[in-house]
Amino acid sequence: MSAHFSRRTLLGLVGAGAGAYLLSACSGDGDSADPDGPQTIDWWHIQNAEPMLPVWAAMAQEYKTAHPNVTVEIQPLENEAFKSKLTTATQAGSPPDLFQSWGGGVLRQQAEAGLVKDITDDVQSWVGNLLPLSLEPYTIDGKIYGVPFDIGMVGFWYNKDLFAKAQITEPPTTWAGLLDTVRKLKAAGIVPIALAGKEKWPAHFYWAYLSMRIGGLGALQQAAKDKNFDTPDFVAAGDRLKELVDLQPFQKGFLGAEYGSPDGQAATMGNGGAALELMGQWAPAVQSSSSTSKKGIGDKLGFFPFPAVDGGKGSASEVFGGGNGFAVGKDAPAATLDFLKALLTADNQRRAAKTGAVLPTVKEATDAIADVNNKTVAQALASATGFQLYLDQAYPPAVGQQVNDSVAELIAGNKTSAQIVKDITSVAKSQ
Amino acid sequence: MTRPSTVPDARRGDPATAPPGLGTAQRRGRRPRRGRRGTLAVFLTPALALFLLLVIAPIAVASYASLYKWNGFGLPENFIGLDNYTRAFGDPTFRGDLWRALVLVVLSLTIQLPVALGLAMLLNQPLKGRSVYRLVFFAPYVLSEVTTAVLFNLVFSPNRGLGDTIAQWLGADAGTIFADPDTVLFAVFMIVSWKYFGLYMMLFLAARQGIPRELHEAATTDGAGSWQAFRHVTLPLLGPTIRISIFLSVIGTIQLFDMVWVLTGGGPIHASETMAVTMFQFGFRRFEVGYASAISIVMFLLSLVFALIYQRVVMRRDTEGALTNQGDHR
Amino acid sequence: MTSTANRALRARRLVLHLVCIAVGTLIVVPVWFGVLGGFKDNGQLSTNPLGWPDPWAPENYTGILASEVFWRQLGNSVLIAVTGTFIMVAAAAMAAFVFARFAFRGRELLFTLFSIGLMFPFAVAILPLFVLLRGMGLLDNPLGVILPQAAFGLPITIIILRQFFRTIPGEVEEAAILDGCGPFGFFWRILLPMARPALATVSVLALVTSWNNFMLPLVVFTDQSWWTLPVGVQAFQGQYSDDTARVLAYVVLSMVPALAFYAVAERQLVGGLAGSVKG
Repeated sequence: MSAHFSRRTLLGLVGAGAGAYLLSACSGDGDSADPDGPQTIDWWHIQNAEPMLPVWAAMAQEYKTAHPNVTVEIQPLENEAFKSKLTTATQAGSPPDLFQSWGGGVLRQQAEAGLVKDITDDVQSWVGNLLPLSLEPYTIDGKIYGVPFDIGMVGFWYNKDLFAKAQITEPPTTWAGLLDTVRKLKAAGIVPIALAGKEKWPAHFYWAYLSMRIGGLGALQQAAKDKNFDTPDFVAAGDRLKELVDLQPFQKGFLGAEYGSPDGQAATMGNGGAALELMGQWAPAVQSSSSTSKKGIGDKLGFFPFPAVDGGKGSASEVFGGGNGFAVGKDAPAATLDFLKALLTADNQRRAAKTGAVLPTVKEATDAIADVNNKTVAQALASATGFQLYLDQAYPPAVGQQVNDSVAELIAGNKTSAQIVKDITSVAKSQ
Repeated sequence: MTRPSTVPDARRGDPATAPPGLGTAQRRGRRPRRGRRGTLAVFLTPALALFLLLVIAPIAVASYASLYKWNGFGLPENFIGLDNYTRAFGDPTFRGDLWRALVLVVLSLTIQLPVALGLAMLLNQPLKGRSVYRLVFFAPYVLSEVTTAVLFNLVFSPNRGLGDTIAQWLGADAGTIFADPDTVLFAVFMIVSWKYFGLYMMLFLAARQGIPRELHEAATTDGAGSWQAFRHVTLPLLGPTIRISIFLSVIGTIQLFDMVWVLTGGGPIHASETMAVTMFQFGFRRFEVGYASAISIVMFLLSLVFALIYQRVVMRRDTEGALTNQGDHR
Repeated sequence: MTSTANRALRARRLVLHLVCIAVGTLIVVPVWFGVLGGFKDNGQLSTNPLGWPDPWAPENYTGILASEVFWRQLGNSVLIAVTGTFIMVAAAAMAAFVFARFAFRGRELLFTLFSIGLMFPFAVAILPLFVLLRGMGLLDNPLGVILPQAAFGLPITIIILRQFFRTIPGEVEEAAILDGCGPFGFFWRILLPMARPALATVSVLALVTSWNNFMLPLVVFTDQSWWTLPVGVQAFQGQYSDDTARVLAYVVLSMVPALAFYAVAERQLVGGLAGSVKG
């Protein structure tokens, strides 16, 4: 066994430490650059359940049939497992050929480390078919490093029945109105808001949206550039959020709640246990699948955009959201790009859209959106005047995670809004 | 931890383990010195090679990386000396980790180990069906941490689990034992104990059964009550096992990961976070691999320092015994 | 007189039984909940979490048992655990033999080096290990899990075995040498057979550790066909997070082999533990 380990490898490692990382630079896939030669595409996606799982598989199968020289090895992964695996793979210098990416700060790091391909030229011929908005997170310093197949936005999903029960006739359009709504719901004995506190990303939506509404769209980007979040606008965002938290609007035990589990945020909504949640385009689908009835609350579900804040610089038509896409690994065989193109034909995008789990990025395919809620989101998105990617994706990972952590601390009452902007700033400065 | 030094350590170098016949062979002859070096090499090489390559080398790489500000991509280039270490000790989360490790250790020493010891003594009694009890108590130890954590996540689910039922019995808020920062650490401790108390119980039981019956009989005929017999005979004789158990428990606490990761992810708001979880967060989520490496090295050093001190101060008698004992075999 | 003593004894026994039953309940109920839960549908789970399933719904179990995935993961877990344990115990026994019965310069230093390995958390080593394994071409190869697992299991195994080897009296060895045994002969024909209980113990401990390992197989195996049960359980929970009953069934089925093995090996384990942890 042990005789196979080369002593030189061992010494190199112990002596230099970095030796190990050098090793990783030496081996590629060995796939030929010839697009017609035999090649294998290693594809990692995170649609590891119905309805998208079989759709991807079918598309890959069709591609293989049409291109006998290409083998597609699909690796559907659960979200958390995907993140762990991708981290090890990329840090060892061997990313998969085609893999899930949300764009933004993480993709930037991967691009800067030379782990993903600059595909600007390769996709030039067809990338115009996509919604320009959706491509933004994947465009870094003017170069394209990935292609989105799904795009959406975050907004308030609400239960019309519960609103009626609390005698609320109109969804709120201002933050003060939202607070009023929450008070009325509470007075009627209804849990106003469902929130998954165990997973921190759902809470960060609130702070991010408030920052956008108060400081304007540019504020979030400027803060990242200046590495300074310690401004009155960001503190004000925290203060507004605190106003909401002080009303105790969340379901019992929300700090331990997951998002998609049978006791989670989505299930609470889907079972009619709360009146509101702030969530992305996938909310209706997860509400139904995690609810006891498997149907959610059906047509009782409504959507309204995040309200404006009085005196804020941002407008209610600016949206916050993101989507899913694929990036191409540095050693990907030539056929990978052709395969990616095939996944994003209008026809295939329509198939994906019909599942209700994907909001297509190909403009032509938007006509296939069948679901009412999806349509609502797509319309809101189409009339958006500005777009901001999820902060935990847009910023460098350390900053994004700190935003999540800090907002969680604010909501739990451990930190004040002035403290959290200092924490975030100090992490941003350390990057 | 005090024990009367007059008590003989009856179980060391126990000749009873040697089969009869062989043990009675004459004392003659010495091991030939010829080819000794070659023998040593043959016997040591496999273990040493595995160990150096797959344990020591990663430690070396991690300590090297801990001196850099490095996001894990490419080669570490930005040398920052010990900054990662000073940062760790200034980081409230990491300091909280240290505090929580201490709390968990104290809980283990005051609850988990005594309960295990008590049950071991109990199962040492001539009790009908005790082998069944023993089988059941130890069973959780063979379940994986991930499986256990997934199971308990579902068990405590208010909607589809026993969360509501438990809440009705105990009057607590349903399912909030994991959601409340004040109780979550204790909840994690309970699950960890659920899985691991059987191991310690088994160790104690084994050691207890190794105590020669005569010693107890002597004590009881001397008029010692069962408590006194336990206090003055059993407990001192269990000393080495208790000390080893404390050691394993502390090291295990410092390295606790799988269970916490699946159960709570360290939350809410870091209230159940352990050093290993923090390390994982920074290494695998924030891509601050240099900093994460520093945390891992601190964990390693903590364990090491603890082990050294513990060995010096507490286990000295045991190891001394072991060292002097082996002189016989040279 | 004797009757009061008997009564006292009986009362005492009753209390002991009650304590044992109480503890046993705490152990059994969560597992039992899982076993029964697997036979329910999700509706029953929320209305009747603890009672008998009504009606019984075996589909969750039968569905998993009929799927190739479960059996493959089980096979992988077994293969990795058995091979890894064998390699580890073999290497550790040889080293422990040297540490226990030879005096040579640097022995304590070397032994201390091995003991230090005990302090190095596995999770920490994952990243450098991954790079190393990749360099050696051991990704998506069971050896990529087997070898590091063996390496990390060495310290505790060597410590336990050395302790045990020392308890074998010098006379035995001397007798063996008289009979013309070299060190290897002594090790192979006398020491190992005598150490069977200790070897059984460390093997069982190693099997359990390997069986439960999660992080390493997770990162080493990209190819799903190599996944082990813990990785499978986590993935299954992710995939069917909204189908609690089905996840429970998977969790329970993944526990069965470990518990069955334990039921068989319990005597070995307990007997061996008695001889191994002696301070």
